[in-house]
Amino acid sequence: MRLVFDRGTLLFDDLTDLPAGVDICQIAGVLWDERVGGYRAPARLCYAIVSELRRRGVRIGEQPCPSLTPPSGFRPLQLRPYQEAALAAWRQSARRGLVVLPTGSGKTRIALGAIASTRTPCLCLVPTRALVDQWTSALAAVWDGPIGQFGDGVRVLGPVTMATFASAYRHMARIGDKFGLLIVDEAHHFGQGGRDETLEMSIAPLRLGLTATPPAPGPAARRLASLIGPLVFERTIADLAGRYLAPLERITWRLTLDPDERREHDALWETYRQARRAFEGNHLGGSWEDFLHQAARTDDGRRGIAAWRRARRILAFPRRKREALALLLRHHRTQRTLVFVADNETAYRVAREHLVMPLTCDIGRAERQAVLDRFRAGTLRALVSAQVLNEGLDVPDAEVGIVVAGRMGSREHVQRVGRLLRPGEGKRALVYELVVEQSSEVRQAERRWESLAVRERSAA
Amino acid sequence: MLSESDLPLRLIEERAFIDFLGPQDEPWLRVLLAEMARFEGRRRRELAERLSEPLPCEAPYFKRRAAARTLLRLWRPESGSTGPPGSATVRREPPSLALRPAELRARLFTAAAASEAPGASVVDQTAAGLGIAPALLLESLFADLPGERPVRAPDPRPTPAEAALRINLAIAQAVLMRASRIELRVEGGVRPVVRLAKLRGLLCTITDGDPAEPSRPLLEISGPFSLFRHTLLYGRALAELLPHLAWCARFELRAACALRGRLATVSVESGDPIFPAAPPTLFDSRLEERFAHDIARLAPDWDVIREPEPVRAGTTLIFPDFLLRHRIHPERQVLIEIIGFWTAQYLANKLEKLRQAELPVCILCVDEDRACAPDDLPPGMPVVPFRRRLDAAAVLRQVERLTGAADSKAA
Repeated sequence: MRLVFDRGTLLFDDLTDLPAGVDICQIAGVLWDERVGGYRAPARLCYAIVSELRRRGVRIGEQPCPSLTPPSGFRPLQLRPYQEAALAAWRQSARRGLVVLPTGSGKTRIALGAIASTRTPCLCLVPTRALVDQWTSALAAVWDGPIGQFGDGVRVLGPVTMATFASAYRHMARIGDKFGLLIVDEAHHFGQGGRDETLEMSIAPLRLGLTATPPAPGPAARRLASLIGPLVFERTIADLAGRYLAPLERITWRLTLDPDERREHDALWETYRQARRAFEGNHLGGSWEDFLHQAARTDDGRRGIAAWRRARRILAFPRRKREALALLLRHHRTQRTLVFVADNETAYRVAREHLVMPLTCDIGRAERQAVLDRFRAGTLRALVSAQVLNEGLDVPDAEVGIVVAGRMGSREHVQRVGRLLRPGEGKRALVYELVVEQSSEVRQAERRWESLAVRERSAA
Repeated sequence: MLSESDLPLRLIEERAFIDFLGPQDEPWLRVLLAEMARFEGRRRRELAERLSEPLPCEAPYFKRRAAARTLLRLWRPESGSTGPPGSATVRREPPSLALRPAELRARLFTAAAASEAPGASVVDQTAAGLGIAPALLLESLFADLPGERPVRAPDPRPTPAEAALRINLAIAQAVLMRASRIELRVEGGVRPVVRLAKLRGLLCTITDGDPAEPSRPLLEISGPFSLFRHTLLYGRALAELLPHLAWCARFELRAACALRGRLATVSVESGDPIFPAAPPTLFDSRLEERFAHDIARLAPDWDVIREPEPVRAGTTLIFPDFLLRHRIHPERQVLIEIIGFWTAQYLANKLEKLRQAELPVCILCVDEDRACAPDDLPPGMPVVPFRRRLDAAAVLRQVERLTGAADSKAA
């Protein structure tokens, strides 16, 4: 019997010499494909299926196996004790599983340790192009071999290959049989159905997921476990603060709206609440997405959504926040400061008003790198960003964070806070949150910190 | 592609109906196009903001949103413009020294970080150093970023009727993006569609042969992974097929699409007002084109039919390249298949399909330069080898021999 890799799946061929009593269809994950007149299974089950077939006495003449040269010749890698422990836990779990560590604690080092110790062709998946560059630099520091890249117009395979999630989603049907180890950075992006096929179309039996914000227990967590492996190691900010992460101090600054802003905000909020009430009258327990769908069908509903958007725009950067931001930037002008806003539009406003360099998705790759270099060198003291700084990007040693507004909830907050936690001599990370009183921001801010604390407590 | 929340759809039980734009929508489309024309040369962000607001006339909500998103993509940023609207470049005196906004940003923000002075005076000093006005410096600071660049209307500008077709195509494609597989009953011009589907890595099979309508096969087009669940992995590839269907004589497309949290069946068929793709080319290669020309000149008694009707072979279709049919004795006909790169396995599969199709006579023309090994050629199969140019006279000799042999056998 032969097993053939076919565009992200396995095709069963040459079934003539099957032992009596073996029914391929009984093997978990295998289905009969009428379209080609053969059995088919997702590629990720390759090794499990081979093992099961062998157990049943089936002789397998050919099967997909990683075809690239394995990487070797890594320079010795110094790992911190908890990084060693994470790697050991992963190895014990048959080299499949999820490692949860706070931002800034060196998850990439664990991945490098896994690549060096596994010595099988490896594909590293990261969310953005900026992270491809970052991972490539980190790998080049410990290994001199050729590093492949898929994404950003480049399609080069190497013993260790970097790819963005988007690029891997498009190309895994062609490259899914080339690697034995999959490393998934920011692994919480998977498990919700969106692009899970990326992980399903690879034959790689060894998988390591890295994240600071794992999904809460439920279907997404279960799905992630089936795609990558179980949670094998977790440490929180509290576990690492002091020695490996900078201690954190939070200051919430409650601000008021000016009377004209307040009037406009309240009127808009009332319009939104009416639409919301009308929806809830008919759809008890309906989700936010359900509300958007329903509201878009009526004039009142559409007015409600528009009013909600405008009210949020007022809260995003009202006059008092502008003044507070100016004050804080002046106060911390000698320290490296990150300003987090809700959208690019506000980032450009902050840039113009306070002469702070914006780092948005619109800023090109070369300029972005130059900006981070200048920030590292100290010729730039502050950066403002909506989302680019939220995830993964290795921002050098910022000490102060100012959260002007956010849009993505607690996961975003954990990532943002993590930007400040890289340890330093006598460093104490300081996070200011600017919150408008008597607005939805108060509750949102509480929820963000509650969820952070809950994660800390549950892990403890 | 349009997002799901922009789609003018009606979901009734398990079916979804697309509200295509038609002549009744042209009045508000005209207003929308005029509104967009007003923003030519202004920032893309400003145009996008304007389009998110209502029009000064009645317009169906979802159709207007779909229209605004689709047309916004046609309004491109002005090429080479990195300055603010109205001043294409930022120049200092003398004008031979031009600065890009990225350089302006680097200078201004670095100067601000190094200075204790208030922001306004940092701007004044930096602008003075560059030889430009402070207002122009601030205005030009982000002029190269996508939202800040001035937009240019497409040339020629779409009429309301053409705009409606383009928007309809975008809507229908956005719906098909949410499909895992499509069913397609199609007549005439199916080859380019199947060819494109295969190029995109899709599987094309006949799921249901209808003997009463052999010229309208029912194709199922899907991807390998569609077997396991409703995946959106192939949505883009499936949606790409749609504008090409406009060149088929007749088609009916059905697909189960994940819409608003459930699966709903959507139909698109000939006559639906969608913008067509560019017409398909008649020949796949220069080699085929030259052969068609040569054989037509050499064999005036034969009709040379390019892309005859597809022939069913098991669960797939065969699309012969040419059919040669004698004009006076139409029972004398030969299929011609031109094969470029080939392997023994490929030829074996091809022959197996030809056998399943029970074709009367078929000549294989194989490229000698791109073969694996000469021994791989199937024994007993009429083969005309070629290098770079296919010898039409050699093919015609084979045709005469085979159809003559068929005639004498029949006699």
